[in-house]
Amino acid sequence: MATWLMWMTIGVPWLGALLVWRLGDERPNAQHHAAAVFSLLAGGTALALLPFVGETAVSRIPVGGVFGDFTLVADGLGVFLAIVATVVGSLAVIFSGAYMHGAAQLGRYYALVLLFIGAMAGLVLAGGFLLLFFFWEITALCSYALISFHNDDPKAVSGGVKALIMTQVGGVGLLGLALLAYGYLSSYEINTFLAQAHTLPAAVLSIAAFGALAAAAAKSAQVPFQTWLPDAMEAPSPVSALIHAATMVNAGVYLLARLYPAFAAVPGWKTAVLTVGLLSALLAAFMALTAHDLKRALAYSTVSQLGYMVYAVGVGGVFASQFHLLSHAVFKALLFLSAGAVIHAVGTRDMRQMGGLGAMMPFVRAVFLAGALALAGLPLANGFFSKELVLEEGLHHGPLWAYVGMLLGAGLTALYTLRMVAMVFYGETAVTRRVHDASPRMQLPLGVLTFGSLTTWLLAGPFTRLLAQTLPYHALKEMTTLEMAVEILTAPATALALLVIGLGLSAWLLRHRLHRWQRPLHPLAQAAVQSFGFERINQQLTVGTKGAAAVLSRTQTGQLNWNVAAIVGALLLVLVVLSWIVGWLVG
Amino acid sequence: MMETSPLFWLIALPLLATPLVYLSGHLAQTVTRRETVNGRVARDVALAALLACWLPFTWAARELAHISAAHTDALTFGWGGLALRLDGLSLLLTVVALGLGTLVAFYSGPYLAADRGQEKYYAMLVAIVGIMIALGCAADLFNLWVWFEAMAVASYLLVAFYHEQPTSLEAGVKYLVQSAVGSILVLLGIGLVLAHTATLDLQEIRAFVATQGALSPMLLAAGALFLIGFGVKVALVPLHTWLPDAHSQAPSGISAMLSGVVIEAGLVALLRSLGPLTAVAGTATAWAVLLACFGVLNMLVGNLLALRQTQVKRMLAYSSLVHVGYMLVGVSVALFTGTAVGAAGGLFHLFNHALMKGLAFLAAGALLYTLHLAVGDHNPLTVNDLAGAARRYPLAALTLSLALLSLGGLPPFAGFMSKWQIFVAGFQAHNGWVAALVIFAALNSVLSLAYYAPLVNSLYRLKSSELVWAGKPMPRTMSVALALLALPVVAIGFWPGLMRWLTEPAGLALMALFGK
Amino acid sequence: MTLLNIGLIGVLGLLGVGFYGLLTSRNLIKVIIALQILAKAAVLALLVAGNASGQIGLGQSVAITVIVADTIVAVIGMALAIQVRRQMHTLDVVELARLRG
Repeated sequence: MATWLMWMTIGVPWLGALLVWRLGDERPNAQHHAAAVFSLLAGGTALALLPFVGETAVSRIPVGGVFGDFTLVADGLGVFLAIVATVVGSLAVIFSGAYMHGAAQLGRYYALVLLFIGAMAGLVLAGGFLLLFFFWEITALCSYALISFHNDDPKAVSGGVKALIMTQVGGVGLLGLALLAYGYLSSYEINTFLAQAHTLPAAVLSIAAFGALAAAAAKSAQVPFQTWLPDAMEAPSPVSALIHAATMVNAGVYLLARLYPAFAAVPGWKTAVLTVGLLSALLAAFMALTAHDLKRALAYSTVSQLGYMVYAVGVGGVFASQFHLLSHAVFKALLFLSAGAVIHAVGTRDMRQMGGLGAMMPFVRAVFLAGALALAGLPLANGFFSKELVLEEGLHHGPLWAYVGMLLGAGLTALYTLRMVAMVFYGETAVTRRVHDASPRMQLPLGVLTFGSLTTWLLAGPFTRLLAQTLPYHALKEMTTLEMAVEILTAPATALALLVIGLGLSAWLLRHRLHRWQRPLHPLAQAAVQSFGFERINQQLTVGTKGAAAVLSRTQTGQLNWNVAAIVGALLLVLVVLSWIVGWLVG
Repeated sequence: MMETSPLFWLIALPLLATPLVYLSGHLAQTVTRRETVNGRVARDVALAALLACWLPFTWAARELAHISAAHTDALTFGWGGLALRLDGLSLLLTVVALGLGTLVAFYSGPYLAADRGQEKYYAMLVAIVGIMIALGCAADLFNLWVWFEAMAVASYLLVAFYHEQPTSLEAGVKYLVQSAVGSILVLLGIGLVLAHTATLDLQEIRAFVATQGALSPMLLAAGALFLIGFGVKVALVPLHTWLPDAHSQAPSGISAMLSGVVIEAGLVALLRSLGPLTAVAGTATAWAVLLACFGVLNMLVGNLLALRQTQVKRMLAYSSLVHVGYMLVGVSVALFTGTAVGAAGGLFHLFNHALMKGLAFLAAGALLYTLHLAVGDHNPLTVNDLAGAARRYPLAALTLSLALLSLGGLPPFAGFMSKWQIFVAGFQAHNGWVAALVIFAALNSVLSLAYYAPLVNSLYRLKSSELVWAGKPMPRTMSVALALLALPVVAIGFWPGLMRWLTEPAGLALMALFGK
Repeated sequence: MTLLNIGLIGVLGLLGVGFYGLLTSRNLIKVIIALQILAKAAVLALLVAGNASGQIGLGQSVAITVIVADTIVAVIGMALAIQVRRQMHTLDVVELARLRG
């Protein structure tokens, strides 16, 4: 039963993709409905897996040869993330019904979104590295195709291609890890790898561990690969909410959490992981502070929050990272969708051209505030509990310098969140056109996500039990929700964090009085606007590659004599090289 | 003997059909005095001949499976100077040549409808299929060279099919001269082998080499001559200069054949001739290193040059260099480690490349036809021409996108799986250099997306180019051919085990060539 | 000076002339002639190799086939040259470089 449910969680949305695409763009309403039905069905099958989690069903299909087995495993971590992918996916699809109303090429849009939902479920349910990489790359493909959905816009195209290439470059790390695992253990099974990782030569394990980190950093938009995510904001907003906030970008964190037991002992790995998390959290927070584009600000905030999760894994807080992942998936999807509602109504993404929208869009303001509450980490929203848990893990199990950095990050988060809310919903309006509040079809998913943002922390208890019981290699301890809540509310660290968050909030409110602080901070702001030089590295790599191609192209003269000379030259060269190699091998 | 050998019929059928195809087309035109009838008749006869070849093929495949459980034995056929052996490797090349040839004959009907001399085209197409099957089966160096030269001659005529277009002529001239130089180098290599071993039979050469303890400079030089001589046809960088011209200027069906099978047939010829020589006193590693070097060059140079192309078919031609590089990496790893995984991987990639590059050229050709040729202009198809093509030609756009993404190594398409197998083989070597080679290959795969992806984006633009709206409707036969080819590209991407019956014996046969 | 050595010198000489022609000639006809000289070098090499290894018959039969095959190539080459002259009004291979890069 569970076996079937697993394959259905992947297969149902894929079937839906095929169907919606075949329906044809002449029937947009049928497409909207079919897409919603299939994504909801996928959500249903994923949820139906929950009762079976305890027995950890495994479905193994032998392919043979070097392709080993295609294995799906329904353990706590996989099912949890499959549920996030399909449920948030359904909400994003329902939201799309309103957001994409009247858009062209809907078939392609929904087919790709459904393909993505299935692939994401496959990614987290995959029990072997080959299948994991297979789905990993399909999500990248869908992400690319959806970022550049508006193919007529060159920015959308370049954003999509950039996302594809950058995540793939990092993905080579995962490829290396998978190949090393198979090369040494003759099996792709992740659980086999976790059980036998210690038998691998230390250097090999170390390469595998850092390969995983590279892949995770690229997928989760962490330093130094973070630059693709802001450019991915050219995608339609529901796609940003689903792929670039709630699901795909989590895959990197998932990978690190999944493989943590194998790599925890690798020298320097944990420090590297937490440093990547820390740098991402801080740098992206600064960038969010200087962004004027609403979606880019949210994208930087996503990088920053993912930094918290990566940092949590780095200090050994696997549960904390996944708990924050859950909170973030819900509240960031909420923020992106409500931002989508705003953009849909206003027709621009520039926050300077918004302002005062609260009066015109009370519903959106209310739900956005709920999301902002969670993002800033203020009490009783889900983000509060999960962020505090991350910080507490950091304080107890990580280095102090990193903890201080993350604490600063929490303050910055509060600051840029408030800035965003104020610029969009309060103050004087710069909007000239008539603005409508979200339509009922948008309100439904927004309402569900708002409810989630305020309540998912109640799931902490069942969630720890789920993970502790089904992840034999992670050694997690169980905890009830009440225990967790009490622990967090009474910890001195929480008070400290809330103090920093409060400072961040007051920094925005008192920004006019802090005027003289702005001048010394100016260079920092400038650096943040230029993404701290990372964008420059990308550009130089591109320019370098194109330059090499240009030089090479000049050698292709098309002259017959020259072409024959190349043949003769190559023959002589081969003779020389051959005698050299043979002499070296023999002598 | 002759009439009971499936191998004989497999080769004789297309070769005997060649004059028949030509004559039937010619006669039909003379008798009916109608302009276009020659093409239709010739095509039907050609198609019938190629379809008929599947009978002896099935027969041969069964017999081969029957005689050899380990897949290292071969069906043999000898008659006078003719010496043929059908092993797993030959079978793979046969499937590719016959499969793609049949589809191309089917596809070319509307593509060539307005051209003169179609009966020659179809006759040469059928001939080249038969020749390539024979080339794959050659049991001695003499047969290998003769079939190789025959393949070259047939392809010169096909490349310069549009012999009133200056660019086609230029491509034909360069192809002929460079390929002839390569062929002469091969002959010199054969001379050296003959002088040294007193035989041309590949198995006897291997047996001779195996008994020799000492290193023979003459055989090494012969190996180098084979590598460069056949390498011209395989398009090893820097011998590749004819390829982008020839592959982009030929009629698209022929581009598919050239990129999908002809360069691969050259690779098979190269491996067959080089195989016995790699057994010379510990030089296997040297040859593996050399093949890997060419693999690296091909991947990098092919990608960088493809990056600059604005003409679709020329870009696809450069991408063929890249994919030859992957095959070489697989073979080199196999030669280095002495295990069949890499060999089977490289040959799996050969098979998949025929599918995906064949599909890419046929789909691009379909668009070239509807946008340019059908309205009577011979300008090349550029990336900009294709803007928004998906709105009018959804199937061509979809299949071209699938082919490009598969070439770029993305799942769930065939190219991902064969690259995976090559990479696995590399990492099984537990050697840092080989691992670095694999990582380099993987990064090149990423680089290639920098030119495949924008093309896909262009296809799905909402604003279509004027050419797209002025284009002619897509003929149904073309759509059918594209769909037939796209199906396995996706199926193998989901289920890589689908072709193991073919690729694993081929890998073992290749290892047998290397004496492993 | 045995027959074998004379043969070898002949092969090397023909190869030299042929490659020199291929690398320096701008006239397409001369290029094809150079190719033919190279082919003759190969034929001679095969005969020498047959003699040297005692497989005289084998060497000769290969050589004859090569002569036939190369004639076909030369004919096609000439046919292409004629077309080039007709369509482009030149036989200069340097001008035959529209396809590049």
